[in-house]
Amino acid sequence: MTIRNGHNAMLPYLGKLVTVQDMAPEIKLFGIELLNVGSAQFADYQPGQFAFVSAFGVGEAPFGIASTPERGNVLEFAVQRLGAVTTEMHELGEGDIVGVRGPMGNWFPMEDFKGHDLVVLGGGIGGAPLRPVLQTVLDHRADYGHLNILWAARNPSLLLFREEYDTWRAAPDTELHLTVDEADGEWEHDLGLITDLLEKVAPAPKNTIAITCGPPIMIYYASKVLQKLGFEPKQCYATLEARMHCGIGKCGRCNMGEKLVCVDGPVFSIAEAGRFLESYL
Amino acid sequence: MSYTTEIQATARDLLSSDQVSCVIGYEVGPRGRTRPAFIYTADDADRLVWNQNCTHNLTTYLHQKLRPNGYTSAPAETERVAIVVKACDSRAINVLVAESQINREQVHVIGVACDGVFEGAGLGRSDGATLQHRCTECGERTPVTYDTLIGEPQAVDTLDSEHDLAHLEAMTPAERAEFWLSQFDRCIRCYACRQACPMCSCPTCLYERDDSQWIGMGNGLNEKRTFHLGRAYHLAGRCIGCDECERVCPVDIPIGLLNRKLAGEVEAAFGYRAGLEPIPSPLTTILSGKEG
Amino acid sequence: MQLISHSGLATWLDHLAQETTLIAPRNVDGVLLYRPVQSSGDIVWDFVRPVLSVKEAFFPATERVLTIEKTGQQIRLNETVPDGERVIFGVRSCDARGFLAMDALFANTEPVDVYYTTRRENTALIGLSCNEMGETCFCTSTGGAPDDPTGMDLMLTEVDDGYAIQVITEKGAALLPEITLQELAGEIPQPVLNDPVPFPPMEAWPPQFNDAYWADMAERCLSCRICAYVCPTCRCFDVRDEPLPAENGSQHFERIRCWDSCAGEVYRQIAGGHNPRAAKGDRMRNRFFCKFYYYPEQYGPVACTGCGRCVDACPVNIDITEVMHAVQRLAEVEP
Repeated sequence: MTIRNGHNAMLPYLGKLVTVQDMAPEIKLFGIELLNVGSAQFADYQPGQFAFVSAFGVGEAPFGIASTPERGNVLEFAVQRLGAVTTEMHELGEGDIVGVRGPMGNWFPMEDFKGHDLVVLGGGIGGAPLRPVLQTVLDHRADYGHLNILWAARNPSLLLFREEYDTWRAAPDTELHLTVDEADGEWEHDLGLITDLLEKVAPAPKNTIAITCGPPIMIYYASKVLQKLGFEPKQCYATLEARMHCGIGKCGRCNMGEKLVCVDGPVFSIAEAGRFLESYL
Repeated sequence: MSYTTEIQATARDLLSSDQVSCVIGYEVGPRGRTRPAFIYTADDADRLVWNQNCTHNLTTYLHQKLRPNGYTSAPAETERVAIVVKACDSRAINVLVAESQINREQVHVIGVACDGVFEGAGLGRSDGATLQHRCTECGERTPVTYDTLIGEPQAVDTLDSEHDLAHLEAMTPAERAEFWLSQFDRCIRCYACRQACPMCSCPTCLYERDDSQWIGMGNGLNEKRTFHLGRAYHLAGRCIGCDECERVCPVDIPIGLLNRKLAGEVEAAFGYRAGLEPIPSPLTTILSGKEG
Repeated sequence: MQLISHSGLATWLDHLAQETTLIAPRNVDGVLLYRPVQSSGDIVWDFVRPVLSVKEAFFPATERVLTIEKTGQQIRLNETVPDGERVIFGVRSCDARGFLAMDALFANTEPVDVYYTTRRENTALIGLSCNEMGETCFCTSTGGAPDDPTGMDLMLTEVDDGYAIQVITEKGAALLPEITLQELAGEIPQPVLNDPVPFPPMEAWPPQFNDAYWADMAERCLSCRICAYVCPTCRCFDVRDEPLPAENGSQHFERIRCWDSCAGEVYRQIAGGHNPRAAKGDRMRNRFFCKFYYYPEQYGPVACTGCGRCVDACPVNIDITEVMHAVQRLAEVEP
């Protein structure tokens, strides 16, 4: 007498790995083409949303989606090898079948950002969920104002999406600023923390939206610097990461105060998330 | 002077003279249950009590006090704490010292000559009369190491310490396996036994289901058996018999029985009982020569 | 209201045990648990509450979510939704009230949890009123009562000559024995109540977030997971794949979900080691904020039914009623 309404949200859609690219040491970019019914679910996901990817036999983990549906039906995820699931994913190759649940969570209100200048701060693997933001802006360049990309990593080899920098730089009214914590003599860009770079670039807060993703400590201090520069908390957005096991508001793992990162986030304005940020560190 | 007033006076002295930053002892909570207490000021020392519900082995808290940044970091060398221990608990001090988990100089041991603690103590089930099984077998009521002794060393008649083991040993191996599996079957993997144990000091437990490559996450009998038997082996020659694991178990698994069995085997094979002196167990040192 | 005699009840329960899976309080090596029983003789009648709540019959400690069959590059998934109808007898009001919280999350918030709701639909609950409250019970302070029929299908209350039967739902009515029952003469006795515990309103909680109280009260916490596992409303879980025996040249795995507890040290640790709730005080604060503030904010109901299990089971006397007193006190001293 099982009564079922709709899809079991714990059941993944199957997808095929169509591209596996080395992006950086321990970081690969996976392209997944969903099979059967799953593809319809991912027809119109939004920048900032995430999905659970299954490496069958080990488990599943949440990843920010690093692509936009506008650019094709291949879902992309940048995956750093850290835990059991990501280690197994790094063993997979093109043609292997993975599971995908999603799209999950809220997204960057790109419609509301239209007509605004944007500052996009990406730290390390945190750059991945910001790529759809950049792609959306670049694909509709006239809809948005000035775009300042501040992109950081521990060292140059860990910078994400390096092959796309020329395209970003070539876009009208767009600046790319790079910084790394440490580098050898070849490095021509900034050295130091992204917060230092932010103070140096010092974007004007007027009619500007700031979007940050990176390690918790970076989000915390970037929001401090932004506010020092005159940004209101409601002008600052961040996409947060938390341990989670369902992505649909059930497993209880990802709460920050009364908010659940999986369903109330992962995108928060600092006006909403500011009071939690300290406990997120 | 009662034990309580003696403990309070000792704590007051130690705190007011800055000899220690904290006294770990016992208090009675609003519901009348005895529980661990952390006392930081001389004024608070009158919260401390001694009674026969002081069952908790407080030495399990020494790690968090003396290695506040985790086990892999260096101990906080300037920190010094006092701790109230019973005879059984005092043996844990010796094991922790032997295993370089703590420096003895950093602990002021307030040893209590103990009359035994009650069954159900700390959980509101104490009838105020029945001693815990292990206390009825305990012949050493005076702590093996202390800086201050509360009460007088006393001798007691030891009861038959083989009693419950004899029952177990009378079983055939198949019966014993069935007995233990039926006990482990109730386990809910709350890890209270491990968390309460002063000897379970690994930064990450081999059987921590969140991390382990060695044990599944599920609540299956296999996982539970692996956890309990594995933990028992790791405690063989190290368990000092405080039975806290058994007391804290919400589903009454007789874990202490398993530990006593292995402690008996170690004593028979090596003539060693954990914690009588601050020397490591032969089981942890036997490979430390050429093989280690 | 109708009356069933002691012998009539035993016969009826024997019948249910034959007809369906009957789960009831049972003595398992001295530990009282909800377990399947073969006859009414297996049932324990005189009890405050089983050690674990009836939650485990709906949200088990471990359950299979799906199975995975891997043959070369091919993957086949099989959804494993529980089946089988059950009747649970001897459910306490506090546990049934736990379903208010659990249903709000698993059944009434999209997406619906198939596993939990299927079990809820396939299970009938026969409640048994408490004549008096246990020492640590405080159900009357969290909205319940020892004889509260909320969430039950049938509610039984002991009277002089047997048990009064209240029919709460149609599902319950369908379970009633076919024998003719007498009409109950006289009143149902009122249960003996404990003094209430202060219940701080939701708005009392946020101002206490940064109070030193949490680190102090949590200092003795052992970071075990008892409190969450005995709780009728705690529902955090973890998911992982685990191997099953290989068959016919295919690898088999199961995806399981298991109880988890925010008291555990690694609960919030992410791959790479970052742990935003490494401090015990932060973890205990989360536990109590969840019960009385986060959960009601997220899903509606308070996530505490006053069953008192965590109070009885905590090895170091961390006492939720003491926390309620403390938060009430802290809130009162504020300007």
